[in-house]
Amino acid sequence: MNAGRFRTSQILLFVALAAFTAAMLTPVVWALMTSVKQPIDAFAIPPKIVFEPTFEFHRQVWLEKGFGRFLLNSAVISLATVVVSVSIGTMAAYALSRMSGKAVGGIMLALLSLRMFPHMLLAIPFFILAKYLNLIDTYPAMVLALVAINQPFTIWMMHSFFVDVPKEIDEAAAIDGAGEWQTFFRVVLPIVRPGLWVTALFSLLLAYNEFLFALVLTGPHTKTLPVAIAEYGGEDLNYWSLSAAAAIAIMIPIVLFMMALQKHLVRGLALGAVK
Amino acid sequence: MAAVHLSGINKRFGETHVIRGVDIDIEDGMFCVLVGPSGCGKSTLLRMVAGLEAIDEGEISIGGTVVNDRPPKQRDIAMVFQNYALYPHMTVRENMSFALDLAKRPKAEIEKQVKRAADILGLVPYLDRYPRQLSGGQRQRVAMGRAIVRDPQVFLFDEPLSNLDAKLRVQMRTEIRELHQRLRTTSIYVTHDQTEAMTMADRIVVLKDGVVEQSGGPLELYSRPANTFVAGFIGSPSMNFMPGIARASGGTMQVDLGRGASLPLPAGSRADDGQAVLYGVRPEHFQLGASGLAVEVVVVEPTGADTQLYCRFDGHDVVAAIRDCAECRSGDRIVLAPDSRRAHLFDAASGLRLIA
Repeated sequence: MNAGRFRTSQILLFVALAAFTAAMLTPVVWALMTSVKQPIDAFAIPPKIVFEPTFEFHRQVWLEKGFGRFLLNSAVISLATVVVSVSIGTMAAYALSRMSGKAVGGIMLALLSLRMFPHMLLAIPFFILAKYLNLIDTYPAMVLALVAINQPFTIWMMHSFFVDVPKEIDEAAAIDGAGEWQTFFRVVLPIVRPGLWVTALFSLLLAYNEFLFALVLTGPHTKTLPVAIAEYGGEDLNYWSLSAAAAIAIMIPIVLFMMALQKHLVRGLALGAVK
Repeated sequence: MAAVHLSGINKRFGETHVIRGVDIDIEDGMFCVLVGPSGCGKSTLLRMVAGLEAIDEGEISIGGTVVNDRPPKQRDIAMVFQNYALYPHMTVRENMSFALDLAKRPKAEIEKQVKRAADILGLVPYLDRYPRQLSGGQRQRVAMGRAIVRDPQVFLFDEPLSNLDAKLRVQMRTEIRELHQRLRTTSIYVTHDQTEAMTMADRIVVLKDGVVEQSGGPLELYSRPANTFVAGFIGSPSMNFMPGIARASGGTMQVDLGRGASLPLPAGSRADDGQAVLYGVRPEHFQLGASGLAVEVVVVEPTGADTQLYCRFDGHDVVAAIRDCAECRSGDRIVLAPDSRRAHLFDAASGLRLIA
C-alpha cells in the first residue's frame, strides 16, 4: 500500500519534472533549429520540422560579426566581477556569520534592500558617475556596477553556508593555534567550498547575461555579448536566424563552464564531522 | 603539566550574572570534574580557562602564569568539544597534525606525535579516513587524538560523551580515565552527569547558578554533602529528604517526622530543640526493619543487583534500594529503617548540613 503510493508519487513527480524540463528546453530547441534554417523556413507557419540545414549564420556570427571580441569583453567583465564580488562577499559573510546581536540582522536586511532597487533606477546614476570619472567604455565601469548590484547576493548566499559551520570549528582552530586568517582560509573556507562554487556560478551568470548596464556603460571597446546580439541583423531578413545563432553561441561557454564545475555544484556540504 | 588556579572569577552576559566569584584550585596532574545542572555556568567556566570567553573579574593561572589576556593558542591547552568539532575536509591524520603544522614543527616530529597518539587511541587503521567515514566513538577518539598530539599542559573536556549512546559512553569513560592515568596531564572535565563525575574525578566541583556549592573527592561529596543541593545531585537514585522537627526527649535529640515516626539524629550532626530540619537518607542506606518509617509500597523495580522500592510516607515520596527483596509488592506496608550512621541532617531553611 505504502510502496504503491510511493511509486505513484514518484511517477507524478517524474512527469512534472519532465514537463518542466520540456518547457524550459523548448526555446533552446527552437533557437537551435532557427539558427540552422534559411530565413524563409524560419518564418514559416506552421513551423517546419523538416528542412535543409545551413550553418551559414553560425559562420557569420563567429567569423564576420566580431563575436570573439565581444566574448572576450564578456569574459573579462564577468570573471572580474566574480573575483571581486565573491571575494568581498565571502569575507563579509564570514564576519557577519560570526557576529551576534541585532546589528547583524539590520545589516543583512539593508543589503537585501539594495537588491530591491530596479536596475533602471541605478542605470542613470551609474552612467553619470562613470562619465564623471571618465570610465565610460572601460572594463572597470562595468565591473564596479556589476559588483555593486551583485554584492548583496554573494553575501546572503555565502552567509547561509557559513552559518551552517558550527562556531566550535573556529574555536577548535583557535585552540590549535590558528589566527583568524588561518582559520578562515585553512579551515572554514574549504568547508564551504561547494557553496563558494555555486555562488561564483550564479554571480557569473548575472554578469554574463547583464544587458541594461552594458547598454549604458559599454562602447565599441567593451561591448558585451548581450548588447551585441541585440544589434545583430536588425536591418535585414536574416535577423531571426542570425540572432538565434548568436544566442546559441552565447550559451556555449556557460554550458561548458557548468559541465566543468558539475562535480563541485552537485556535491553537498561535507559536514559529517559535526553531529 | 601544570596546576590551574581560578580565583574570584565573575562573568556577566548582559544583565545575567552567570559566574559569581568562583575559586577553584586544581593541582598538577589532577582530573577535575565540573558538574552541575544545565545553565550552572560550568561550560562558561571551562571556556574561560580555554580563552574562548573573556573574564570580567578575577584571575586564571595555568602553570603559575596568569593567562587572562592570552589568546587560546598561547595557553598551551587542548580542548575536546561536545560535538567533536573535527575539520570535515581533513583526514584523521590532518585533523591530528593541524596544530603541529601551524606551529611549524618539523615533519618527522609531527609524524611521530601523530603515530603515538594514534597508537594510544587505536586510530592507526583510520588515519586516512575523513570524519564523515567514522562512527561516533571513533570521531570522539580523533577529537582526543587531536588534543593528545599537542602534549599540552592542560586538557579541557566539554561534555565529550553526551553525543554517544549509553554503552559507548561507559566504555569511553573508562578510556578517558585510563588515558589520564597514562599521561597524567592536568584535566578539567565538564559534565551534567553525576555518574561520570563520580567515576572519573579525582576532585568534583559542584556548581549551581554560577556558584561553587561544594568541591572535594567523589566519596567526600557522597558521604558528607555540604547542603541539600549537593546531597540530591550526587548519587543515584537521589537522596530522600524528609521534613521534620528536632525535639529533645529524654536527654537525646530526636527528629520528629510526623505520623508518630521519630528517628535519632544522624551520627555527627546536631540540631536545636524545635528546629525545622530535613532528614536525608540515600536509598541504599535503608533496610527493612521493625522500627523506622512505616511506608506504603507504590512501585517495585527489581534491577537484579537490588530492588528499588518507590514508597509513600506522609505524602512524600521515599525511594529505597534494598538488596534481595523479591517479596515486596505494590500496596504492601513495610517499615524502612534508615542507617543513622550514614544519614544526614540539613537545616530546612538554608539547606546547609548540620554538623555537630
